[in-house]
Amino acid sequence: MKQPERTIIHADLDAFFAAAEVRRRPELRGKPVIIGGKPGGRGVVAAASYEARRFGVRSAMPISQAVRLCPDGVYLSGDGSYYRELSDQFRAILLDFTDLVEMVSVDEAYLDVSHSERTLGTPRQAAESIKQRVRDELELVVSLGVSTSRLVSKIASDMDKPDGLCVVDPGTEAAFLADLPVGKMPGIGPKAVERLHASGVRTLGQLAHMPLPVIEPIFGKRADQIVLRAQGIDDKPVDPDGGPTKSISHERTFGEDLTEPEDIRRELYRLAESTGRDMRQKGLQGSVVAVKLRYADFETVGKQRRLLGPTNAHQEIMPVAEKLVEELLNTRRAPVRLLGVRMSTLTSGVLQLSLFDQQAQRQQKLNQAIDQLTERHGKGLITPGNLRSVSQQRSESREDDPDTYDRRTGERRGRDE
Amino acid sequence: MCYNPPSSKYVRTNEGNPAVKLSCKQEELQRALSHVSRAVSRKSTLPVLANVLLKTDDSSLKLAATNLEIAISATIPAETDQPGETTVRADLLTEFVASLPNDSVKFELDTAGQSLALECARSKAHIKGLNTDDFPELPAIEDGQVTATIDPRVLREMVGQVAFAAATDDSRPVLAGVLCEFQGGKLTLAAADGFRLSVRSADLTEQTGEDMSIVVPARSLQELARIIADQEEAVQLWVTPNQSQLLARSGSIEFLTRLIDGHFPDFRQIIPQEWETRAVIGREDFLAAARRAKLFAQSNNDIVKIQVQPGEDELDPGIARVSAQAAETGDNEDAVEASIEGNESQIAFNGRYLTDILGVIRTGDVALEMTSANAAGVIRPVGDTEFTHVIMPMVIGSS
Repeated sequence: MKQPERTIIHADLDAFFAAAEVRRRPELRGKPVIIGGKPGGRGVVAAASYEARRFGVRSAMPISQAVRLCPDGVYLSGDGSYYRELSDQFRAILLDFTDLVEMVSVDEAYLDVSHSERTLGTPRQAAESIKQRVRDELELVVSLGVSTSRLVSKIASDMDKPDGLCVVDPGTEAAFLADLPVGKMPGIGPKAVERLHASGVRTLGQLAHMPLPVIEPIFGKRADQIVLRAQGIDDKPVDPDGGPTKSISHERTFGEDLTEPEDIRRELYRLAESTGRDMRQKGLQGSVVAVKLRYADFETVGKQRRLLGPTNAHQEIMPVAEKLVEELLNTRRAPVRLLGVRMSTLTSGVLQLSLFDQQAQRQQKLNQAIDQLTERHGKGLITPGNLRSVSQQRSESREDDPDTYDRRTGERRGRDE
Repeated sequence: MCYNPPSSKYVRTNEGNPAVKLSCKQEELQRALSHVSRAVSRKSTLPVLANVLLKTDDSSLKLAATNLEIAISATIPAETDQPGETTVRADLLTEFVASLPNDSVKFELDTAGQSLALECARSKAHIKGLNTDDFPELPAIEDGQVTATIDPRVLREMVGQVAFAAATDDSRPVLAGVLCEFQGGKLTLAAADGFRLSVRSADLTEQTGEDMSIVVPARSLQELARIIADQEEAVQLWVTPNQSQLLARSGSIEFLTRLIDGHFPDFRQIIPQEWETRAVIGREDFLAAARRAKLFAQSNNDIVKIQVQPGEDELDPGIARVSAQAAETGDNEDAVEASIEGNESQIAFNGRYLTDILGVIRTGDVALEMTSANAAGVIRPVGDTEFTHVIMPMVIGSS
C-alpha cells in the first residue's frame, strides 16, 4: 500500500558551536573559530566556523592538524551547558511548527509538517519561516532540507550550506539523488565508498540500479535497504521521543596516545564506568559489550561480545571490554588514540540474579552508592584500588574531554539510530 | 592440548611391497567416519587437522581425528596385508564413502603415501593424502589404567541433564566446564553458568582409581555422550596422571578431551537447604505451560512468572499459575494443578532456563522449592534424589 505523502524538514544549525561563540562574543565575527580544545591539546575539532573551514579545518579532525592548517585561528574548548541551552531554545522554536520534532543531536532535528499547508503554507514557506525565526530569536543560521522523507531532506539540507534551503518536490527524489556521489548518503562510509568505486559505482543513481548480488558483499544484510534509499525511498517516521534508546556509549580521545597496558586499562575503566552509570540513570541494562579503538594513524577497529545476561554494572562490563581490547591489540599493537565502550541490546529494569556471592545484587547496591556520590562530588571519586591513579589523571585530561561537548552527542552517548 | 611430540612416522610399508592393500565393509567404514569426523577441525592453521588418520594393523583399520580440543578414534575390522598409515581430507572421504553402496571397500595406499586409491562396486577414486608426521600423537588407554567404569546410558543421561547449564561464553573458563567428581564409587556431574546450577549423581559400575575431581569442557562431554549413544559396552574412563586429559573408551571407540584447569565453585554451598513454599507439579503440564509463556516472554527479557497458591483443603491441593506478558505482544497464563506446601508465593525465571530443565527431567512430577522472590529456586524430580537444579530468579531492578 502506498503511504500518504509526507513533508519532512531536516533542520541543521550551521557551524553551531562556533556560531554560538560568535553570538556571545561579536568580536570573533569573521574570524576562524575552532571549537574542540586548545592548541597543543589532542582533542578533535568539534566544530569550525566557515572562516576556519576555508583553511581546510573540518569536524573530527585532530586539533594538531587544525593548528597546522590554521595557525591564527581562535581555539576554544567549548561550553557544553551554553550550547545545550541554545539547543533547547532551537527545539522550542521548532515545536511551534509541529509536535512531531525529533532532535537527533544538539543542533539537528527532523520535523514532520505533513498536511499543515493550511496553517504553515507551502513546505517552502514553512521552511522559510523556521529560518527567519531562528535568525531573529537565536541569531543563528539554520540550513534546511525539505522532501517527503528523512533521508532526502537530510541530504538536501547539506546541499546549499551555509544558510541553505533546498526543497525536493514529491516525485523528484530519485532524480535529485541520481547525480550525487555515493558518499553523500548517510550510512555509506569511506570504506564502502572505496569498495563501491572499485565496482565502478560512483553515483547514487548508479547504486539505485545495482543488482543486489553485486552490493551484498559490501553491505551485507543492509544491501536491499541501501538500494531502496539510493532510489530515494525511506519511510522511517519522525519520532518525537527519538525512538527507543538502542545503545549507550562513551568514547574518548586521549591527550597523548596510549601505549602502556595499565593506561589503556585505566581509561577503559573510566569509559565502562560512565557507560554503566548512564545505563543506570536511564534504568537500562545492556547485553552486548562493544569496544572501539582508534590507532594513532586513525585506523579504527571494533569488536563486540554478548554477555550471558543483561547488566548495567561496570564491574561486569569492564572485564569483557578489556578482553575485547586485548584481542584487538593482539591483532595490531600500536599507540592508541581513542577508546570507546558501547552497550547495546538494551532492556529495562530487569535484573537476573546471580548464583555466586549474590554478586549482581551487591554490585547494584554498590553502584547506587557510587552514583549518589558521583552526583554530589563529580566523577572519579571512587575507583578500584588497582586503578587508583585514575583520579589524579582525570583532572589533567578533563579539559579536552570531547564527551562534554561533542557535536555528535547523539552518536556519542545517547542513541545510535 | 598437551600432546607428546609427534614421532617420526612417515607412511611406511614393508620393503619390497609396493602398496598397502586393505578391504573393509562400506557400512562400518561409514559409521566410523561419522563418529570420527565430529572431531575434525573446521578451521585450523594446521592442515593435517582437517584430515582423518587411517592406520592399519593386523586385522583392523583405525580412523582418528582431532581438533586439539578433543580427539575421536574408531576401529573397524579390515583385511590387510601389512601395516601402513596416512591422512586424507576428512570431509571428502566421509562424503565419498557415504555415497557408496553397501559393499566391500578396497583401499590401496601408494608407497609414496600421498595418494589413497579406493574402490567399491563400480566406483573408484584417488584421494590425495598428507603424511602422518604432523598428526598429533594420541594417547590411548592401556589396560590397568582405568579410573572408573560406567554404563553408557547412565553417562548419557547425566550429561544431558547437566551440561546444558554450563556457560557458553569464556568469561570464566571453569564455568564452561562440567565438574566430574569421582568419589566412593559414585560420579557426580555439576555445571553452572552463573545463573543456574545442575547437579546429577549416579553410581559408577566400578571405581578403580582414587577419588578425584576434574573439569571437562561441556562441549566435549556432550560430544562424548553423542558418540556413545549406540554403544552397548561399558564406558571406561581414564584421567591422565597429570590431570590434563580425560580418555574414554567404549567398544571400538576411543575419545579424548583436554581438561579445564581451574577451581570449580563449591556447588554444594549454593544449593538452598530450606524452603518456605514447595509446589509439586506434573512435569509435562508444567513444561507445556512454560513453553507457552516463553512465547510471550520473548519480547520482555524472557521473564516467566510462576505464582503458586495453596488450595483450601485436601481435595483442592492448589494451583501454579505460569504467565508472561510483554507490552508489545500481549500476555498469557496457564493454571496448572499443583500440590502446595507452605505459603502462597511467586517467583520469576528466565523462560529458557525453565524449559531447559523441565525438558531433561524424566519423572512424572517435579518439585519447585522457593524461599522468596529474590532467592534461588530449586527444581527436583519427585522420587529421584540424585538430581538437583537451582535457578536464580529475575527481579524488577530498583533504580
